[in-house]
Amino acid sequence: MSILYDEGQQAIATESRRVLEARVSKDELLPLLEASGEYHTAFWETAKEQGWTALALPEAYGGLDLGLAELGLIAHQAGRTLSGAPFLTSSFGAAKAIERYGSDAQKTRWLPGLASGEIIGAVAFAEGANALPAAPKLTFTDDRIDGTATGVAGGLAADIAIVFANGPGMPVLAIAELAGVARTAIASFDNSRLFADLGFTGTPAEALVTGSAARDAALHILALQAVVTAHEQTGGAEALMEVARDYALTRRAFGQLIGGFQSVKHRIAELYGLVELARANCIHAAARAETPEFILAAAAARLSATEAYDTAARDCVQVHGGIGVTWEAGLHLHMRRARSLALEQGNSLFWEDILVDRLTGEAA
Amino acid sequence: MSDLDAYRSKAAAWLESVRPTFGKCARKGLSEADDLALGRRYQKAKFDAGYAGINWPTEYGGQGLTHLEKVTFEAEEMKHGFPNAYFGISLGMPVPILMQFGEDKDFVRERVLKALQGEEIWCQLFSEPAGGSDLAGLRTRAETDGNGWKLNGQKVWTSWAQYSDYGVIVARTDPNVPKHKGLTYFWVDMKAPGVTVRPIKLAGGDSHVNEVFFDDVKIGDDHRMSPVGGGFAVAMATLMIERYVATDSGGFGPHLDLFIDLAKATDFGGKPAIEDSRIRQQIARNYAMRSGLDAITARAMLMMQAGMTPGPEGSLNKLVSVRSRQKLSELAIDLQGSSGFAYDAHGFVKDNWTNSWINAPTGRIAGGADEMLLNTIAEKILGLPQDHRPDKGVPFNQIPA
Repeated sequence: MSILYDEGQQAIATESRRVLEARVSKDELLPLLEASGEYHTAFWETAKEQGWTALALPEAYGGLDLGLAELGLIAHQAGRTLSGAPFLTSSFGAAKAIERYGSDAQKTRWLPGLASGEIIGAVAFAEGANALPAAPKLTFTDDRIDGTATGVAGGLAADIAIVFANGPGMPVLAIAELAGVARTAIASFDNSRLFADLGFTGTPAEALVTGSAARDAALHILALQAVVTAHEQTGGAEALMEVARDYALTRRAFGQLIGGFQSVKHRIAELYGLVELARANCIHAAARAETPEFILAAAAARLSATEAYDTAARDCVQVHGGIGVTWEAGLHLHMRRARSLALEQGNSLFWEDILVDRLTGEAA
Repeated sequence: MSDLDAYRSKAAAWLESVRPTFGKCARKGLSEADDLALGRRYQKAKFDAGYAGINWPTEYGGQGLTHLEKVTFEAEEMKHGFPNAYFGISLGMPVPILMQFGEDKDFVRERVLKALQGEEIWCQLFSEPAGGSDLAGLRTRAETDGNGWKLNGQKVWTSWAQYSDYGVIVARTDPNVPKHKGLTYFWVDMKAPGVTVRPIKLAGGDSHVNEVFFDDVKIGDDHRMSPVGGGFAVAMATLMIERYVATDSGGFGPHLDLFIDLAKATDFGGKPAIEDSRIRQQIARNYAMRSGLDAITARAMLMMQAGMTPGPEGSLNKLVSVRSRQKLSELAIDLQGSSGFAYDAHGFVKDNWTNSWINAPTGRIAGGADEMLLNTIAEKILGLPQDHRPDKGVPFNQIPA
């Protein structure tokens, strides 16, 4: 697959940008920070209406049969405007797990709803610092899940979750319905992500993959999500770089535009570099989706996108001075999002290890 | 296989076939004179095999192909440590500019053919003690002298001037107008009376750059390559040719694989250093950065193949890769601890971390210092304002020294 976007892909980028800029505003996102269990419904309605939920899923199950590159473009735009809900990524990850590893019956049961957006999915692998635990505390016994999955993005709203659990002597990748699960909302710095701890107590579940292949399968799902998230992070970083640039072209001090001071302009030029490196890695990773080097490419995209967004959040606020730290200016929306996205799908420490393992031949 | 892939594999096969004769093993222990002689033979071999002047017109002895083939060849070529550095500037800028702006076509053709075959070398006389990044601040004077001109002044950082037969030079012909407007572009015979070349020994111990002094050096008006006062535009055209050169996400230093090999081989506290998280983190960070640059380059190549103009992000390559190489080279030396002191001034920067480290600052300064590259990104790409420039619009001779 080419790393040059074709006309159709470019149209997806422009159209999604137009729609999101028209429908998402800072004023609607700010109150969500102080609410619990709420997300920006207009964003999610837009995603469903525009077919973004169906984009990268198979046509046979109501999808549009496009790929990671196209979903990445939507995620990039969602990152620019700040997506109002985590489902674009979480439902995609859940759907991909079912599509890749599920039975026909499981696909028929879940994929059409995930494609239309009527069903919301989550991926619940992480246990604290371990994005993919070596020995999960979650257990899978006789088709039932017990234990707690922590910090699940979208956990407060999801209908189903893909979990990575400890089965009888072997790991299991499984799908569980969340209807009877105890959800504990996490009061977080980015509440519209709907982070929750999910308490499973004999929750019925169906295995998707068992044995050593389960871990590889889980990592693949995580990598797919990481590439989507990396696009979103790059979009956020790009928006912040532009906001910093625009401010430096407006604000005057000591008789000149602050953008004329090298300490300011170099800071913004460095952001440009980080954004372009992240973008290039994202496009590269999306184009490698079904190749042996996908995990490596995903890790590189993830690392550079996290660095770009975190740095852009820090430096954009810094360029603004005092106004940058006000609630009203809303730059903290990006600051918060940069951090929440840095944790979702595994932190940088996790992806650094994944990357080096692949590079040095320590991972098969 | 695309045509370009086919070209690449054919070039790679040819380079492999001449590696025993001209590669870094063949160069080991040679004096610089012998190495230059080997380099001239290598350049002739390239010419005979059709790999010299790849994107130059056939009427000048080139191959008439595009910069895609040129960049593809260069990317393969740089893996082997061939003695081609002597011709890098010559064929990179002055000779293409001569083809573009030289008036006497027979003379131009003769020079180009000799340069392509390694018989003659050209240098580029731009930087001066008072003007490096600020090129237009240069002070070397060209004054009318009969029907021609007389050059007086000093250039500096001139690569390979000590071996050069000719050079292109920007000189000030009118100090009474603002600095960019009083410059004129010439070519000059480096063997002419009054030209003195003095090599500068650099930090790493080698001397590829020089000071060049001009004392009443007389040149005819037929040496002039720009309108009088129009030299800055030709100088900018010279620097623009640089856009289409092979990049190296390793910053022209060692490949990351060599760092991994070193980390695997190094015992640190009873374990291979590759197991140390701090080392792993640097590997991961460098890989992510390099893969991003590689993807930018790959995309630029695809765009050129499709007849499109690559995006401005290609300008990140040198900035990002060379300073990363500098830090990674420091870490590689650190990693060796008490085994890390050894140094061979003639080591190859692409496989020796110490040579890579000691020569990295040159890379961060030559051809645009980091700070200038950041200014360019900020101003040309992002539209941020120029710094305050007190010399703007002021006649050159009224700028406070």
